[in-house]
Amino acid sequence: MAFQNFRNSQKAMRRLYDAIAYVIVACMLVFALGPLVWTALTSIKPESDIVTNEMQYIPAHPTAEHYIKLWNRSGVTTMFRNSAFTTTLTVVLCLLVGTFAAYSISRYRFRGRGGILTFYLTIRMFPAVLMLLPLYIMLRNIGLLDSLLGLALTYTTFSMPVSLLMLKGFFDAVPADLEDAARIDGCTRLGALFRVVMPLARSGIAATAVLIAVGAWNEFLFALMLTNSESSRTWPVVLQLMVGEFQLPWGLIAAGGMISIVPIIIFFAFAQKALVRGLMVGAVKG
Amino acid sequence: MLQNALPPDSQSSQTLPAVRKGRSLNPLTWLGELSESRYWAYLLLLPSLLLVVAVIVYPVFYGVYLSFQQFNLLRAGLGMKFVGLQQYTELFADDDFWVIIKNTFVWVFGGAFSQFFLGLVVALALNRKNLKGGPLARVLLLLPWVIPSVVAGHMWALLLDSRLGVINDILVKLGILTSYRAWFADPATAMPAVLLVDMWRGTPFFTLLLYAGLQSIPEELYEAAEVDGASGWAKFRAITIPMLTPVIVAAVILRVIGLVNSPDLMIVLTNGGPGLATFTLSLYAFQIAYENFNFGAAAAVSVIMLLILMVFTTLYLKFSGVTKNT
Repeated sequence: MAFQNFRNSQKAMRRLYDAIAYVIVACMLVFALGPLVWTALTSIKPESDIVTNEMQYIPAHPTAEHYIKLWNRSGVTTMFRNSAFTTTLTVVLCLLVGTFAAYSISRYRFRGRGGILTFYLTIRMFPAVLMLLPLYIMLRNIGLLDSLLGLALTYTTFSMPVSLLMLKGFFDAVPADLEDAARIDGCTRLGALFRVVMPLARSGIAATAVLIAVGAWNEFLFALMLTNSESSRTWPVVLQLMVGEFQLPWGLIAAGGMISIVPIIIFFAFAQKALVRGLMVGAVKG
Repeated sequence: MLQNALPPDSQSSQTLPAVRKGRSLNPLTWLGELSESRYWAYLLLLPSLLLVVAVIVYPVFYGVYLSFQQFNLLRAGLGMKFVGLQQYTELFADDDFWVIIKNTFVWVFGGAFSQFFLGLVVALALNRKNLKGGPLARVLLLLPWVIPSVVAGHMWALLLDSRLGVINDILVKLGILTSYRAWFADPATAMPAVLLVDMWRGTPFFTLLLYAGLQSIPEELYEAAEVDGASGWAKFRAITIPMLTPVIVAAVILRVIGLVNSPDLMIVLTNGGPGLATFTLSLYAFQIAYENFNFGAAAAVSVIMLLILMVFTTLYLKFSGVTKNT
């Protein structure tokens, strides 16, 4: 009887904990998604419905006017292209260089391996602002200031330590036997990397690519400092400068925000599972 | 980039018999044969090392060097002049600087604590077995973390606006506030408001890592503790926290680095104001560099940031005891 009571009370406790868990997750969902939903709603309200005395929760007159206006603004398509180009270049460069380095650390045991790994971990600590100034001077001296290439090279380097750790985790998971088999069949080491290891780790590589892309797409501080003409400004910088210069109406700001996060959300939904796994590996080992 | 993986001169190719025979003219074949050499592991690392040295290591040393120079980019004609510790002594003599240091500590520790705590609570909730909708909730909860800081800043500027802010409206309708407040313009609420925005962006990072850490704790440990009659709290203290410590330490360090280094939200939301209420070291360094082009002084501020981070990381690693085992 006493045991039965104990079981029942345990069951009740479990139910209570479950209920608390649901409440916490629900509250957090409101906190996380509320601002995004509100921005989306604002972006389809006409300006007169945004600036009102009585708060309007559901858009009474939905409109796409802000999106159209924003898109027709001079320079908006250019900067979208700039961002897309810089992001793509960063992802390609970082994956290429990072794959080589991660593969080397994952597969080979050589002198200085541990030291190099530690080195890649510690460089994450350096303040961005400290590097920003010398980078500005260096890029200016070699003529890459205010260029998308200069920006992409910078992003590549900053994303490298994290992507290297992620990629290493994914490569560690590919059995070495498969490579050995390919080598017996006459594959070179490079061939084995491209034909065996990379295809097997492709979901991990995709997740790493998404992480790099999100970082490059979102980056603001370096882009603000290292570019100064319309031909190389990226999306976050232009958005910020437009708000500052023209006192943009809220509807346009909201529309601009929505446009800039759509690619990220698509990317993210596409690779979130492997992304979470890879980040975990990167952070725990780091 | 690829060229960097190759030896730049003919000297190194002497170690490669196949190349010397001139059998392969196709660069891919040549690379393949290069991969059989004993330097392959190092060659693979070379491109990344070159980039890191050029873009991170060299600039850091250059930055430290700059902090001892008088150098203004607008007056670059004057060149650099060695001034020793003058940049630093000038900073230390400035009362504003100490206010900014204090703000930085409030910002970094307030941010890291609030985000860690909330992240842990959410991760524990997500970790309940058989939670319906768990996978979807995990993805959705992660979303704020991938939103650009600029966009996040403007979103919250609208939400907390003193005239049109929906949060003001809700709080007034609930009877918590009697009238709308200008959250970012009031020195008392500006810092908490910016911290709230950063909490929105930063918490998912903790949730993600802590959740993954919780998932990796073997179920048997809990089962064994249950057999011994351990209560929920005892299990949490004796199993969850110790097992989670490495993840907690890694996550906190990464987040603190992020908080110290990024002035993004302040640039978008307050520009340090009102007064100095939300002025942090990173914003200070950025403003001196970006607005005054006084690179020497900005470098000195950045070096101080680096020192603070180094001291913090060392102490934190030491007291958390994670380095002992590994």
